[in-house]
Amino acid sequence: MSAADKMSRRDEMETLLPFYLNGSLEGSDLEAVEEWLATDPAAMAALGEAEAEFSGTTAANEAIRPPADALSRFAKALDAEAGPVRAPAGRSWLAQALGRFTAMPATVGWAAAAVLLALVVVQSYVHTGGKGNDFEIAGAEDDLAKLPFALVKFKPDAKMSDIAVFLDQNGLKIAGGPTASGVFRIAIPAKTGADYTKLVGLIAAQPFAETVIEGRKPVDGG
Amino acid sequence: MTAATETDRALVDRVAKGDRAAVRLLFMRHHARVYRFVVRQTGSEMMADDIANEVFLELWRQAPGFEGRSEVSTWLLGIARFKALSMLRKKKEDWIDDDDAAQVPDSADTPEVATMKEDKGAALRRFVDALPEEHRSVIDLAYYHGQSVTEIGEVLNIPVATVKTRMFYARKKLGEALKAAGYDRGWP
Repeated sequence: MSAADKMSRRDEMETLLPFYLNGSLEGSDLEAVEEWLATDPAAMAALGEAEAEFSGTTAANEAIRPPADALSRFAKALDAEAGPVRAPAGRSWLAQALGRFTAMPATVGWAAAAVLLALVVVQSYVHTGGKGNDFEIAGAEDDLAKLPFALVKFKPDAKMSDIAVFLDQNGLKIAGGPTASGVFRIAIPAKTGADYTKLVGLIAAQPFAETVIEGRKPVDGG
Repeated sequence: MTAATETDRALVDRVAKGDRAAVRLLFMRHHARVYRFVVRQTGSEMMADDIANEVFLELWRQAPGFEGRSEVSTWLLGIARFKALSMLRKKKEDWIDDDDAAQVPDSADTPEVATMKEDKGAALRRFVDALPEEHRSVIDLAYYHGQSVTEIGEVLNIPVATVKTRMFYARKKLGEALKAAGYDRGWP
């Protein structure tokens, strides 16, 4: 016999009162509670106690304040998540590919990244007429290969959506990778060495960054 | 139909067709409650922030498969519960941070002294917070989220009889705690 089977009538009614108060009770349970409230002198006091619990629980929950910027951060994560079919017109092929990439579960996403970047390499070769460059995994869009860059390895449990939002917010782009050891080349749109150092430091400070190695810096040398 | 009156299910239908405005509307309607539910489940605002965002990304992904067998709010809370449990299992030892530490009740006062300083409402709120998670969840879902016995069973993935048993013991513990604090309400 379960604990519920052993309940007295009072116990049963006390169990149902929260659902009577929230308006979700129906059928025989609703009739039983209403009959109890109408006939048992202790019932109205019990209802008052349940109302106090209702108020206390509501106050405890509403004391928790959601972050004020939750919607804007979600909107960015959604944009990063959404695939090309749902994407607004005019997105670049690389952004669309990254969108597909970020829509995948992390474990699948990293594997797919290799395929994506293989496409980047091919496209780079086509766009540049087969001319070589100084990095074997360089990408093509917006002359990414010519920009200063850093080499970044992400943590295995890093979230695609977090990375995509961060890159977008800071004007960073994946220019190549991953290598066999999981290293990505991140293009850094910095004009000066100071800007470069600041952006690389920002990447290194992110919880999803495992290793950040400085690559080519702006011409002023930083 | 205006956005304000459009039902949750109609909005999910729009989301299924790739309408980002619809998912943002659902976010505005339900995010606070989902966030609070996860904070109460995990005790971590940082974790809740992450999970609540993930819940609505999951809504975006799963909307085409939503069959409307439950309310959208129940569906979202069920996803939140699943993600919270998964993350708790994964991060069990890693999430003690300043954010969590700030939520640990001040233990300068003994429970007796603390109770003497507060009125019945404040004491009740504290006792609700102190309930074991499995009991506090049914209290929160019934009183704050307005869920029925059946819906709570769906969110927590437990039988209806278990929902009732947990509610019984949750309220019994609250009554006993109040009695110990000098507020005898006559039951249990």
